[in-house]
Amino acid sequence: MHSPLSRRLAEIVGGAHVLTGAECAPYVVEGRTPECAVFPGSREDIAAVLGVAADSGTPVMPWGGGTGMALGSPPAHPGLVLGLRRLGRLLEHEPGDLTATVEAGMTLEAFQAELSRRGQWLSLDPPQAARATLGGILASNASGPRRHLYGTARDLLIGITMVLADGAIVRGGGKVVKNVAGYDLPKLAVGSFGTLGVIVEATVKLRPRPDCDRLVVARFSTLAEAGQAARAVMASDLIPSALDVVDGEGLRALDGEGAPGGAALLVGVDGIAEQVEWQCEEVGRLLKDCGLAGVRVLDGTERDEAWRAVGEMPQRAFTDATAGMKWGVLPTQVAELIARAGAVASQRGLRAAFVAHAGLGIISAVLDAAGADAEQVACTLGEWRALVNGSGGHALVEWAPLAVKERIAVWDTPGPDSRIMRQLKAELDPRGILNPGRFLGGI
Amino acid sequence: MAHGTALEPPQGAGGPTARVPAPWEMGPLALHGHDVDGVNRCVHCGLCLASCPTFSLLGTEMDSPRGRIVLIKSLAEGRIELSDSTRAHLDLCLGCRACETVCPSGVPYGQLIEAARAEIERRHPGGPVRRLFRWLNFAVLLPHPRLLGLAATGLRCYQVSGLQRVLRASGLLRLLPGPLAAWEPLLPRLPPAAARAPLPEVTHAEGQRRARVGLLTGCIQQVAFGTQNRATARVLARNGAEVLAPRAQSCCGALHAHAGEDGLARDLARRTIEAFEAAGVDQVIANTSGCGAHMKSYGMLLASDPAWRARAARFAARVRDVSEFLCQEPLRGPLQPVARTVTYHDPCHVIHGQKIRKEPRALLAQIPGLRVVELSEADWCCGSAGTYNLTQPEMAQRLQERKIAHIRATGAEAVVTANPGCIIQIAQGLQATGAPTRVMHIVELLDEAYR
Amino acid sequence: MPALTEARKKSLRREMEALLGPGAVLSDPDELMVYESDGLTLFRALADFVVFPLTAEHVAALVRLAQREGLPFVARGAGTGLSGGCLPAEGGLVISLMRMNRVLEVDYDNQLAVVEPGLVNLHLSWAVGARGFYYAPDPSSQQACTIGGNIANNSGGPHTLKYGVTTNHVLGLEVVLPDGEIVWLGGKTRDPQGYDLTGIFVGSEGTFGIATKIVLRILRQPQAVRTVLAVFNEIDQASEAVSAIIARGLIPAAMEMIDQLTIQAVEDAFGCGYPRDAAAALLIEMDGLAAGMDEQAARVIAACRETGAREVRLARDEAERQLLWKGRKSAFGAYGRISPAYLVMDGVIPRTRLPYVLRRVNEIVAGYGLRVGNVFHAGDGNLHPNILYDPRKPGEEQRVVAAGGEILKVCAEVGGSISGEHGIGLEKRDYMPLIFSEADLGCMARVKRAFNPTGLCNPGKIFPSRKGCAEAGFASRPHPIEEAGLAQRF
Repeated sequence: MHSPLSRRLAEIVGGAHVLTGAECAPYVVEGRTPECAVFPGSREDIAAVLGVAADSGTPVMPWGGGTGMALGSPPAHPGLVLGLRRLGRLLEHEPGDLTATVEAGMTLEAFQAELSRRGQWLSLDPPQAARATLGGILASNASGPRRHLYGTARDLLIGITMVLADGAIVRGGGKVVKNVAGYDLPKLAVGSFGTLGVIVEATVKLRPRPDCDRLVVARFSTLAEAGQAARAVMASDLIPSALDVVDGEGLRALDGEGAPGGAALLVGVDGIAEQVEWQCEEVGRLLKDCGLAGVRVLDGTERDEAWRAVGEMPQRAFTDATAGMKWGVLPTQVAELIARAGAVASQRGLRAAFVAHAGLGIISAVLDAAGADAEQVACTLGEWRALVNGSGGHALVEWAPLAVKERIAVWDTPGPDSRIMRQLKAELDPRGILNPGRFLGGI
Repeated sequence: MAHGTALEPPQGAGGPTARVPAPWEMGPLALHGHDVDGVNRCVHCGLCLASCPTFSLLGTEMDSPRGRIVLIKSLAEGRIELSDSTRAHLDLCLGCRACETVCPSGVPYGQLIEAARAEIERRHPGGPVRRLFRWLNFAVLLPHPRLLGLAATGLRCYQVSGLQRVLRASGLLRLLPGPLAAWEPLLPRLPPAAARAPLPEVTHAEGQRRARVGLLTGCIQQVAFGTQNRATARVLARNGAEVLAPRAQSCCGALHAHAGEDGLARDLARRTIEAFEAAGVDQVIANTSGCGAHMKSYGMLLASDPAWRARAARFAARVRDVSEFLCQEPLRGPLQPVARTVTYHDPCHVIHGQKIRKEPRALLAQIPGLRVVELSEADWCCGSAGTYNLTQPEMAQRLQERKIAHIRATGAEAVVTANPGCIIQIAQGLQATGAPTRVMHIVELLDEAYR
Repeated sequence: MPALTEARKKSLRREMEALLGPGAVLSDPDELMVYESDGLTLFRALADFVVFPLTAEHVAALVRLAQREGLPFVARGAGTGLSGGCLPAEGGLVISLMRMNRVLEVDYDNQLAVVEPGLVNLHLSWAVGARGFYYAPDPSSQQACTIGGNIANNSGGPHTLKYGVTTNHVLGLEVVLPDGEIVWLGGKTRDPQGYDLTGIFVGSEGTFGIATKIVLRILRQPQAVRTVLAVFNEIDQASEAVSAIIARGLIPAAMEMIDQLTIQAVEDAFGCGYPRDAAAALLIEMDGLAAGMDEQAARVIAACRETGAREVRLARDEAERQLLWKGRKSAFGAYGRISPAYLVMDGVIPRTRLPYVLRRVNEIVAGYGLRVGNVFHAGDGNLHPNILYDPRKPGEEQRVVAAGGEILKVCAEVGGSISGEHGIGLEKRDYMPLIFSEADLGCMARVKRAFNPTGLCNPGKIFPSRKGCAEAGFASRPHPIEEAGLAQRF
């Protein structure tokens, strides 16, 4: 039951903070159960844990809220889970500086609640805020619709503290909003999936909460019209905070089976009341020429519910949803690629739903696998990837059953720049103990 | 440079440079008596770089204002010798002074480059042919209106007799040494004798007299662009100026100063001051950019001459570009409509030398029916730059082509400007591309509106 | 590194001329001298060659040649940098990118542009301006500085308060790696897979390679702009106004502070309409939708009045706005009118600490018997104390450097940084231990080694010199960055 490894870990963090055997059930990844799950209470303890792992050559999987653990190539060895839940405090919030420093294990929802008491927020709205932690959001570069105006983690993170594989506790960036001293290590941490170091603390830029925040839902009878509408908004004077397109299947997932389908454009607008009102009206005026079939303006909990549903649509679209992809393409390609990918799926008799940050060219594609075998799913995903890569974009399998992942690579074929990525990994984690084998190019 | 503090500048692998006296060991910097202490106002910020036409085309910092200042400073400090390459970089400067307009530190660049040019002339007077040629130009023709008039008659004969056409067709011109072959096509086509005749000494004001002004009729201007002088006098008179053109005036010396002939430049400045003082005018008007800017700097030019310092400063304060003068009051009507689309090119020594940007545009705006379109890079040198198109034909041509491309992009029927040098350069460039666009001095357009 | 022999130099020159064509290789000492400094004249270093490539392939060939010869190399743009970052600290090759200055592609629908590194920052906004777009990062030197230099330094500017710095506007880069391979980092699409190499490259001060193509976001010009000048009799009031505006839930596009000494220099230079007797002025700009703009301006004006502004003025028209900005953007150069030299500092502090730090800055500089002018990005807390001095007076340069060091210490003490936008370069490398531990720097050294294993790409920058390590107590044992072959020994 208690391996030598877990005993050594218990010496560091205390027995109460080490789980083994069946207790590790919540930490199963891709069907593999970790040797143990350990929950250090300090960065020094994390350094010590990593030392133990390095000594025994045990892979370490940093774990925040667990919302993004399906992402990445399946781990070769389960190793140990390093949970950050005990590092969950808000360390510093100075409203006058519009900055806050927070431990990696704090959930986004708890963090936003604290900030909101002083009239501020972190302008990052990925799905599952109640479970997702700051560290996990940064490591997986998770984002939401408001990235259209406010950017992603890379734009908001100004300082980071990481524990490297050799136990070194290193800081990059700082606590001030503008800083070019030294290399921009925060950028390296964002989206690194815990392969370079364990994020333990972050300092982020904040914004004042807007006076007013609304969601304009514009409906169209076709996806092409919605795509055209998105481009019209981009080419206008409007400054929306979000600009999402949802296709017909996506709408059915949101509205329930039997809903009319078509497509929708979701335009977020925030700011002071006068700005928001003008933008809501302007959206209506502008989209009349694009075949607008109906428009609703949502506010309050109705707005929040709608955004939450859109964010979680990929996971909820189909009762038997099997695989999700994330594509990055040019904004002008969004509607056409969705249409073509939809056709690819239906040719194989599969249903697919799409939601896109249309102004940025980020598309979430989800496949309904009801009645399909892994081979069929993998082939469809492969065709999608070829389509996206062929348009100059990139395609990532965000989640899929192990059987599918065995048939299709999670990541695109790495480019020549992956040589530098491998060198970075070799420099910072020479023994390869941090999330080995799960990242691009086998890192 | 050694600092005994936390920061130590590293030594370049190029090896330590020759021992330079510490800055505090030096007095005000000068090149053979020409004050170049203005180099110390340069803080090396580099904001001038992109405004410099030669730097923009070449990308080499020796051909930028900041780089040339480093060269001039190093020459004055004795850190470098006047090598051929240094000379070439200083010679390549247009002297357009666009850098002065953007310089936040107020480096007197025009003054610095003139001092450097004088130094170059002193150290490298060239062979006997060059010296003879310069002597003919600067000491004989330019200062003596009558001799210049005779030469003009000769040139006019060459141009109208058919000799020019024959020579051009024969290809013999290509046998001319060095840049002379490039000069030939730039020679302005001279007008008939009547237009080259001097202006009447007095042109009376029409309506209520508002000022008594002297007009600098100029050296080349007089023989090549007499019509512009006549138009200037008419437009000034229509606007209440009594216009005097003193016979005693000659060249203002601008070409000399720009070419490093500083001794002659001072002599001519004194003669010009005397001539206009004797005429008793309130203001002195120039319709050529280099002359206006140069006369405005007489105070500086003669600052080291105690007998002339105050007189020169007084004179300089009275100099006005013709646009500047006309803009002091609204144009007196009636102006006839001119239905034409035009664009405006800023001569360097109007916009940068005299900081006159708004006035010509304000004048154009008063002409009924005229449509004015903005010219991109309007404030860039056209490559004429005094005698630059003669001494640096290759760079001048690149700038000319750039200017012509911008002009053609406007679709204007005419380019309006305010300097004969620019007019020649632009007209020649337009002709080479076969564009029908006309080039006019702003006073000619105003004169037309007064017809 | 031993100096090159004359014969070797000649043959290298011939080789590079064969590659680049005539007129693209400088080796005349008088010409090299012009390249011995950037915008900071405190440091000088001579190159062996200055070369002018036209293509990425040229750059790659030059880099391979440098590696073959063991010659250090460094890229240079307009040389307007303020930290000695583009100086050939150990000689070798200066690769000037000024002849690679084209806008290669503009995709208005996708709101991006592909440009070469030698393009002048402002020229991009000119190029896309006719279609109603602009490039947001606007360093004060934008009329001259290049996009490539902006990439190296992750340059900021007044409008970064709302729009972010260079890195927030770069989507992808074609770079020549230090071993001469040409690769793309990122591209035209968002969220490329793998590590954010674009993100780490931007701001690496030319130590990770040389960018040869740059994909940038371009933004639509805002519908409306309002510019407010608030004049204060006390500098503390101006500092408090900055926080008061933020407290009202506003993030203006820019919020710049200019103190009395600077106002006077600027007024001498351009007569921009700042009152000469004010202790400080705030230049505050809001932009965005026309709707609600008046209310935003009203909130800003109210905040300024409440904190004691004696005069608050809204720029009447574009001409007045441009004039106010001209004063702000030309301030550094304008010090040339009141002092033969100045050293500009670039510390950053949390903006709530402005009143304290500004007082300390003035005390420190006065303590050295010097004068200081402050003109800075108050909204970001990015200070620019400009210490005026006369290099012709013995000892002044040393006192300036010492005073600058003390100012940076104060910035570090209040939780700030030693550079907000100018970079570390040669100038501030020995101050790095003020804000980074040995482990932090060791991590950065490892990152550097991943890109630049031979260290020949822009050596001598960012990392503390041996002396700096010793002062920080780092050098009692072999330092990790030294082991990595990255520490520069002088």
